[in-house]
Amino acid sequence: MNTEPIWKSWFARHGAKLLLFARQQSRRPDEAEDLLQEAFVRIWRLYGHTGEVAPGLVYRAIRRLAIDWARSIDRRQARENRVALDAPMSFSFDRTLEQDERKQALLRAVERLPAQQKEVVTLKIWGELTFDEIARTLDESLNTVASRYRYALEKLKQWVPQEIEGKTKDSHTAG
Amino acid sequence: MNEFEKLEAELKELRPVEPSKEFTARLEEALGDAGNVAMCCLPDGEEHLDGPQAVPSSNKDGNLISFSRLLAFAGFAGAGLAAVWAIIFYVSSNLAPSTPENVGKEASLLAEKEPVKSIDVFNDDPDSPLNGLSLDQLQDVSVMPVSGWLDPQTNERFLRVVDEGIFQQPSGLPARQVRHYFMDETLWSHPASDTRILSTTPREEVIIIELDTY
Repeated sequence: MNTEPIWKSWFARHGAKLLLFARQQSRRPDEAEDLLQEAFVRIWRLYGHTGEVAPGLVYRAIRRLAIDWARSIDRRQARENRVALDAPMSFSFDRTLEQDERKQALLRAVERLPAQQKEVVTLKIWGELTFDEIARTLDESLNTVASRYRYALEKLKQWVPQEIEGKTKDSHTAG
Repeated sequence: MNEFEKLEAELKELRPVEPSKEFTARLEEALGDAGNVAMCCLPDGEEHLDGPQAVPSSNKDGNLISFSRLLAFAGFAGAGLAAVWAIIFYVSSNLAPSTPENVGKEASLLAEKEPVKSIDVFNDDPDSPLNGLSLDQLQDVSVMPVSGWLDPQTNERFLRVVDEGIFQQPSGLPARQVRHYFMDETLWSHPASDTRILSTTPREEVIIIELDTY
């Protein structure tokens, strides 16, 4: 009978969501993989022997590492990295959605959200964490997290039609 | 479905990009031996995974769980079978008809038993540590001097410490569990009869040291 390390199947289930969160938390897009690697290896070394690791722990480690790494970057570098921060969010999702106008608008709207609301939406929708787990990951209260999520959805509801309309206008102007 | 639920469903349809095979290979290298601590079995004929793309959404480590469940089931079935046999044996032996020979045997066994010695329960001695027994009676029964004992001396002897590793607390935070082994000793001395009694009791102390998540 063949065997394989459990971490591989674990990472197959959670890797994409973790990478998405790491991309949001990192200062530079190329830093996201390093961030995820560092966080995952640290947590797996602690809990790997149990065969099952709560994804919330890795999310939490990613966030804390991102904060530490951001502190260690000097000001000049941080200024340069601001440019990298503007990398569109669509790079973090399957490119097949390029054909779907509404989905693109949805992503652009998510991108416009304030960072705090965006991370809650990411953890809730794609990370599939509960509000309690999100609160622990972000070191915030349950109420704060739930309100941020609600505000974010309200904004998305309002912005998605605007995004679709704006895109249509742009294409008309270009035409 | 309200508008928020519809929006949530739409967002969930967007699938984040899977990590590349190169990145998974990088992880494997970075994990080193730590990655091989926990393994799971793959069904025969299934190939090793090279990356996340090769894995379906089903839980791969379910094989490990199902194997342990199988073992547990076999254990329970065995124990259940043994219990059924024990009950059948007990019932059959107790329901056996009592023959006149058996009755006579039981009667003779009862007759052979010595009568219980009666203790004067009303002899209450305020100095005695046992209710219903005077100090003299206690001394006779225990064959030990009753008075004249010194205060007991206690001593805590440290034996060893064992690091039991890291576990996840119910709060989700990691903690290290360290177990200390002690031997508690109590010595009673009776100088007049040069008698000493040493009592040793093993004791364990578990210390939980909370860890940072990274």
